[in-house]
Amino acid sequence: MKAKIILLALTLASTGCANQNFDMANLNLDKVVETAGKVYKGPAQITEAQEIAMGEGIASNLLGAAPLLDNKPVQQYINQVGRWLSVQTERPDLPWHFAVLEDEDVNAFAAPGGYIFITKGLLIRMKSEAELAGVLAHEIAHVLKRHHVEAIRKSTRTTLITDLAKESLQQSGVGPALTNLIGVGTELYARGLDKGDEYEADRMGVVIAARAGYDPYGLPAVLLTLQGMNPTHSSLALMFKTHPALSDRLDLLDRTMSGALDRFEMQPDLSPRFTSVMNNAGSGN
Amino acid sequence: MMAKFIELLKNKERVMKWKAAIFLSLLLNMTLSGWAQAGEIAYTVRATELKARPFSDAATLGRLMQRTKVEVVARRSSWMQVQVDGKTGWVKMLSLKFNQASNKAGSSGLATLFNVASSGGSSRSATTGVRGLSEKDLKNTKPNPRAFAVMQTYAVNKSEAKQFASAGKLNSQSVGYLAESASGGAR
Repeated sequence: MKAKIILLALTLASTGCANQNFDMANLNLDKVVETAGKVYKGPAQITEAQEIAMGEGIASNLLGAAPLLDNKPVQQYINQVGRWLSVQTERPDLPWHFAVLEDEDVNAFAAPGGYIFITKGLLIRMKSEAELAGVLAHEIAHVLKRHHVEAIRKSTRTTLITDLAKESLQQSGVGPALTNLIGVGTELYARGLDKGDEYEADRMGVVIAARAGYDPYGLPAVLLTLQGMNPTHSSLALMFKTHPALSDRLDLLDRTMSGALDRFEMQPDLSPRFTSVMNNAGSGN
Repeated sequence: MMAKFIELLKNKERVMKWKAAIFLSLLLNMTLSGWAQAGEIAYTVRATELKARPFSDAATLGRLMQRTKVEVVARRSSWMQVQVDGKTGWVKMLSLKFNQASNKAGSSGLATLFNVASSGGSSRSATTGVRGLSEKDLKNTKPNPRAFAVMQTYAVNKSEAKQFASAGKLNSQSVGYLAESASGGAR
């Protein structure tokens, strides 16, 4: 018995030794240092402050592609609805901003950190505040789940994120790594997010609208309206390219919502307030 | 610089006011209560019951076959009020699909109105060429810090948001996020 244990110990020691020799012979010093560096830095994370800085740059880029609708009452109304929705969420203290873009396209965009855009082309197809709330809440959900931040992180080199971390420590203002990531983030709107992210934003959006006291069926009502548009219309091209099919989104919302949100069906859609703001849209005060 | 720019915007708004006043008399006659004047045509995507009221346990007025043509009158949450064969009743919203030909851009009348509203100029910075939100435009865009600064001025704080909600009699509710539907992905 004793002899067996000694033999085993010897065997282990000798193989261990052999392995060590083998490793030493093949040692690639650069690789070891690189690996150690990666372990030291940990997985690349994007902080909330970096997320907001990225969002500001992306928002500014979107405003370079399409101007703001020049209408203060409408812009303030969008912010009132959007900010009230954001208060119902797990990130109520982000710098939430909402804006209508002067563009005939039918679309809406969320930039990291709480910058939300909706086009005039989409707004004019809505019929109530609950519909507006449903669309804004879908975009808010993208920000809550950091869908764009994650998509940006996945589509760039890890070193760019670590460069961003260094940059954030070294300087204030927009450095080269941040500029680079803002560019990646802006181009993302031409490609779109994962379908799963869009379905998740739909599911969360209807709940956020319900939490804010609205009829939760505003979002599906808008999707139904868009389904009634001519699908070959150019104003729909980018939205169709970057989102799952309307029929799939409606199917999933139908199944997810029925039963679960019945008790909120009596909540108001505030179509009179929506109509009143839109009717006075030309008065400019 | 910023103050000057905001002042410029205000002047534009004043110009817009009288421009808008010209159109006001026209607009006064328009009742923009959503569906009412639109009379959009839809058809059923599945067989469905026509209900007397927007509730599952309301009296059934009749049964609509798949692809029945209806005229949409109003929406109440998950229900649409429709007219069909001289009868008015309610069907589940998601049992309908709009007829693509009948639902043109801005059928609610807001499109025309917005064209009036935005004709007074806009806060776009001086650039040449047509821009927009196409894939190509998004790839070639440049930052617009001036418009970004204007966007910041529209922000609403939490207490203003709460006031806005009470004015609309909106009450916060407690409700958890919904799980993915049990039957999984899209059909």
